[in-house]
Amino acid sequence: MSQTAEHEASNETSEHVREIGHDEFDPIGTLTLIGIYFLILVFLWFFMYFVEFLGNDPTVVSGTLVFLATGARSA
Amino acid sequence: MTNTYIESFPAEAKVVRAAFYSSFLALAIGGLFGIIQTLHRTGYYRFMDSADYYTVLTAHGVLLAITFTIFFLVGVFTWATTTSLDRPVEDIRFTWAWYGLMVVGTVLTAIPIFAGFTDSEMSASVLFTFYAPLQGHPLFYFGLVLFVVGTWLAGVDWFRSWWAWKQEHPDKRIPLPTFMVLTTTLMWYIATLGVAAAILLFLLPWSLGLVESVNPLLTRTLFWFFGHPVVYFWLMPAYMMWYVMLPKISGGKLFSDPLARVVFVLFLILSVPTGIHHQYLDPGIAEGFKFIAMTNTMFLLLPSLLTAFTVVASMEHGARQRGGTGYLGWLKALPWRDPVFAGMALAGLMFAAAGFSGMINAGMNINYLVHNTFWVVGHFHLTVGTAVALTFMAVTYWFLPQVTGKALWNRSVALGQVVLWFVGMTFMSNAMHRGGLLGIPRRTAEPQYDGFEFEAAVGSVGELDAQIALGGALLTLSLVLFFANVVGTALNSRSDDLPANEYADTLSGPSDAPLVLDNLKLWTAIAIVLVIFAYSFPLLSIIERGGLFGPELTELPVHIGLGLEYLWATTISTVTTASETVVALGAEVNW
Repeated sequence: MSQTAEHEASNETSEHVREIGHDEFDPIGTLTLIGIYFLILVFLWFFMYFVEFLGNDPTVVSGTLVFLATGARSA
Repeated sequence: MTNTYIESFPAEAKVVRAAFYSSFLALAIGGLFGIIQTLHRTGYYRFMDSADYYTVLTAHGVLLAITFTIFFLVGVFTWATTTSLDRPVEDIRFTWAWYGLMVVGTVLTAIPIFAGFTDSEMSASVLFTFYAPLQGHPLFYFGLVLFVVGTWLAGVDWFRSWWAWKQEHPDKRIPLPTFMVLTTTLMWYIATLGVAAAILLFLLPWSLGLVESVNPLLTRTLFWFFGHPVVYFWLMPAYMMWYVMLPKISGGKLFSDPLARVVFVLFLILSVPTGIHHQYLDPGIAEGFKFIAMTNTMFLLLPSLLTAFTVVASMEHGARQRGGTGYLGWLKALPWRDPVFAGMALAGLMFAAAGFSGMINAGMNINYLVHNTFWVVGHFHLTVGTAVALTFMAVTYWFLPQVTGKALWNRSVALGQVVLWFVGMTFMSNAMHRGGLLGIPRRTAEPQYDGFEFEAAVGSVGELDAQIALGGALLTLSLVLFFANVVGTALNSRSDDLPANEYADTLSGPSDAPLVLDNLKLWTAIAIVLVIFAYSFPLLSIIERGGLFGPELTELPVHIGLGLEYLWATTISTVTTASETVVALGAEVNW
């Protein structure tokens, strides 16, 4: 029984309903998925700001930025 | 007549099968140690002394990260070259010889590790990274050397096949699977020079008492010279499966052969000059060098993102040929009930999550937040522990019938196994990542302290521990199901109704790939130049500061002759000046 199942599931043509060639194939679904992944990455990147800087003391702060910030305040 | 691998290449199938079984044995023992650690760390069940935790951790790391992965991939690579070149290995005795050498190396390495559980003097509880000043028994290092030499000879075997094939087919493009094997092997040759130098020049003589000390930063740096590319040695065979098997099992074709070649060339070039990103917190390496390593690492994201695109597009091609429609509706048309497909697809999904935690690790300043914490353990359980391990387990369900000639014991158990692994790892790895953000350390038997508690913004440490223990238990159950299938299949009788030994066709074939992609000499040369750029200054500056064998350089017998000594001193001073300039430039860029 398992042998038959093995044969059916690995036989790719059993559910093959059409042939799509190089020029007809438009991977719009891939674009959608990769786009979603990109949005997740962007969201996590912003979220990281809260985890790193608001959850802890700043680990690396550029001296230049601190100087500019204080300079801006005093001016 | 079914045209399986074992029918086309009966002698090779035996070696591949032996390599697979060796890898599964390592997986069984390493996995057992995994659940022991999980229960010990979380405090749910501690039956051993905490000192033994580190012996367990060493065995877990070495057996899974080195033995399981590499034995499996040498099997896959042997299958790939013989199948895609359509020729047997040149000399089967040579093939058995490198396999035997790898077995002997593994046994010699395992003896001192396991001796750590006994009262004997012998031990090697130095963890997978074997950082000095942790010192293992010489047998540990010697065994590792033999194992690596075994893999080098395996590479020679695959190159011999290709050279012989090329004589007969001078105008043909390298078949894609063989191309992947060759580029990965070249990367491995370059990468293992680091660990070979660390062991043969320093750690083994030191362990034998031939030299009194070593420069720990030097051996660490040489370790990571190898330690980062080794992750691509595990990952490349998984990628190969995603490129050459997954499209076919999805019912489609590989989207682009040229893009696949570009990806493997990029890994050959960029894998090695990145190792210093594991050492962002090591004092003694200038920030500028670390910055260069970070830049290379970020470039290394490119081939992985190219892979995400190509592999998903190939799956989509299959889904649409199977009648799938819509922006996301095509996902339903994929063969999710096929364990080979489901396992690989879930492994790929986990790898996408690992991509994010990897980007955090790779960023120099963000790395400071998670360095040496449980986060890192969570990260590599997504990469090697799922993207690689789950892919290997899933393709095992395709490979076992090919190399045994027997039908898989039970497909439903196989499907349950891959899903269980995914669910278990979701619990465990997610909790490890979050634990790391609280500052919970890695490599620690009892991560709890008097008068101090880790504070969680969301949830609690108890909740994280519960998730880790639950995840570990599910993963162990998944392993039990996996081995049930392996053993059940081995006990089956021979079947003559098995799928043929084939891999995916391509939509855009090798004729679309520029010829220069197959110029392995060129890519190897570029890889070596990049390694020299990334490593020569850091290594020279480490040696200059700490000495070849530790701080007391002058008292150790490293003199060869006055002339050479003068040349050495001049080189060092020139290079130091140059490296200071580079550091200054690096600092400028950093600003």
